[in-house]
Amino acid sequence: MIWILVIVFVLCLVLRFPIAFALGLSCLCYLVAKGIPLILVPMKMYSGIDVFVLLSVPGFILAGNLMNQGGLTEKIIVFCNHLLGHIRGGLSLVNVGASMLFAGISGTAISDTASMGAIMIPAMKKEGYDTAFSCAITAASSTVGPIIPPSVPLIIAATLSGLSVGKLFLAGALPGLLLGVGLMVTAYIISKRKKYPKHARSSFRQISRGFIDTFWSLLMTFIILYGIIGGIFTPTEASIIAVVYALIIGKFVYKKLNFKNVQVVLLDSMKTSASLMVLVGFANLFGYILITEQIPQSISSGILGFTTNKYAVLLLINLLLIVVGTFMETIAALLILFPILLKVAVGVDVDPIHFAIIAVLNLIIGLTTPPVGVCLFVASSIGKISIGAVSKAGLPFLLVSLLVLALVTLFPAISLTLPNLFID
Amino acid sequence: MLYKTIGRILKLGTLVSTWGLIFTVLLQIFCRFSWFNTPSWTEEASRLFFIYAISFASGLAMKNNFYVHLDMFYNRFGVKTKKILDLSIPLISMVLFLVMAVYSVKFILLGIVEKSPSMGFNMGAAFFSMFIMAVSIAYYLWKKLGKIVKTFER
Repeated sequence: MIWILVIVFVLCLVLRFPIAFALGLSCLCYLVAKGIPLILVPMKMYSGIDVFVLLSVPGFILAGNLMNQGGLTEKIIVFCNHLLGHIRGGLSLVNVGASMLFAGISGTAISDTASMGAIMIPAMKKEGYDTAFSCAITAASSTVGPIIPPSVPLIIAATLSGLSVGKLFLAGALPGLLLGVGLMVTAYIISKRKKYPKHARSSFRQISRGFIDTFWSLLMTFIILYGIIGGIFTPTEASIIAVVYALIIGKFVYKKLNFKNVQVVLLDSMKTSASLMVLVGFANLFGYILITEQIPQSISSGILGFTTNKYAVLLLINLLLIVVGTFMETIAALLILFPILLKVAVGVDVDPIHFAIIAVLNLIIGLTTPPVGVCLFVASSIGKISIGAVSKAGLPFLLVSLLVLALVTLFPAISLTLPNLFID
Repeated sequence: MLYKTIGRILKLGTLVSTWGLIFTVLLQIFCRFSWFNTPSWTEEASRLFFIYAISFASGLAMKNNFYVHLDMFYNRFGVKTKKILDLSIPLISMVLFLVMAVYSVKFILLGIVEKSPSMGFNMGAAFFSMFIMAVSIAYYLWKKLGKIVKTFER
């Protein structure tokens, strides 16, 4: 009977049903075919959402949107420009650097591409950078966001596996930095070959001014991380502290928030969170059906029957996740595949924290993998250029991302050093 | 009129529940770092506010097209196929949420006999959130369907 679930789900996806509804409809068809009481639909939806850690998701989304309302994106870009603009191809480095700083605020790749791209792509075009290159670096750099803490996909991974959010946040930091630095080096090499422009060196005063402007956003990331890792707050409490902090900074420092726009930002953030939570709720029902049909066990024994070599298994999982990440939204893919693949990974002695980072990294790299990576679409529509041209210009960045993925997969220390160092 | 009223109720519900969530979590933090004892009900109350905020906002998310989908195959379909899909997707999705709404009523009735562990409220009140979610999404799917039919008629 499980084929009903799979066929209906795939068919709904192909026909452009929202992913959450595709999950719900496939579950509904399965339950009807099996004669299982349909009360399971609201029950599993409720139990899927009624998880304390998930309360942090709207908190982080809201805090990020409130900070952005205060004009933070522009301030981060200005600061990075003072810091990196004097290097050859400075704006491309600014693009990556700003995404790394912005990561602590946003946490989702697609929103990073949209908000950074809207400013960076026109600015780069104006200074003589190729449009395709500008779009490609914007799409590639936005994948750094969801791995550098605080990260919504990592919170979802923690919810699905019971792993510590603090440990996952710390585990994502080094791979995120590695990815960012790798993209910067690649952008610099390309810029040097193509003789892209550079700006005059900024004065110390300008850099200090830029730092003060962005200091408040950096402090928010620090408060969140220190609060969670130091055991002062739970992730949910940290997200609400971040909201209050963003309200205070937006109102009294950036002076951009008022009662009216706070309500608008709040409604928008809750709509984003609700669309994610409906997905989480239906995925809980979907996961329940898979478990009752013993699908994770079958897949696990199937893969482990094929090979028990840790690296061969990880290679297979990496390939699967990259392909899935190419056409499916990160959180949806994570909700469906992470619990199943975690069982396989643990079966070959892969640390669950290490595996969570590998899974999220794979899925976000998928967002910039041609021909259908979602971030490529967003960037190409901002730059008004074909996705083919962006994909071609993005190949060097994709290769670097894959190299970082290989390093993170082969060397668990990259992910596990920080959590082992700071958390018992 | 009804359309506007429902939109206003959902917006108000989302705002009140979200501010409720923020204040409850803040109270929990404040009590932990002050000489007051942290009330036992804060975690349960914050979860309830969260679920209600999500339920109210899920209909608004439908209204403003926040649910993500794959475009890669759809773009390759012909105009006629696209028209059929534009009509059938909201219709079939509406069936899902109407079924969910009907069974949410059963779920609420099951909850009436249960009491929440720390606040002692009727669990039917918590489960009512699922009804709000299902009905509000179904309502906006219905409105979307109406708009599409009108466009086709024109």
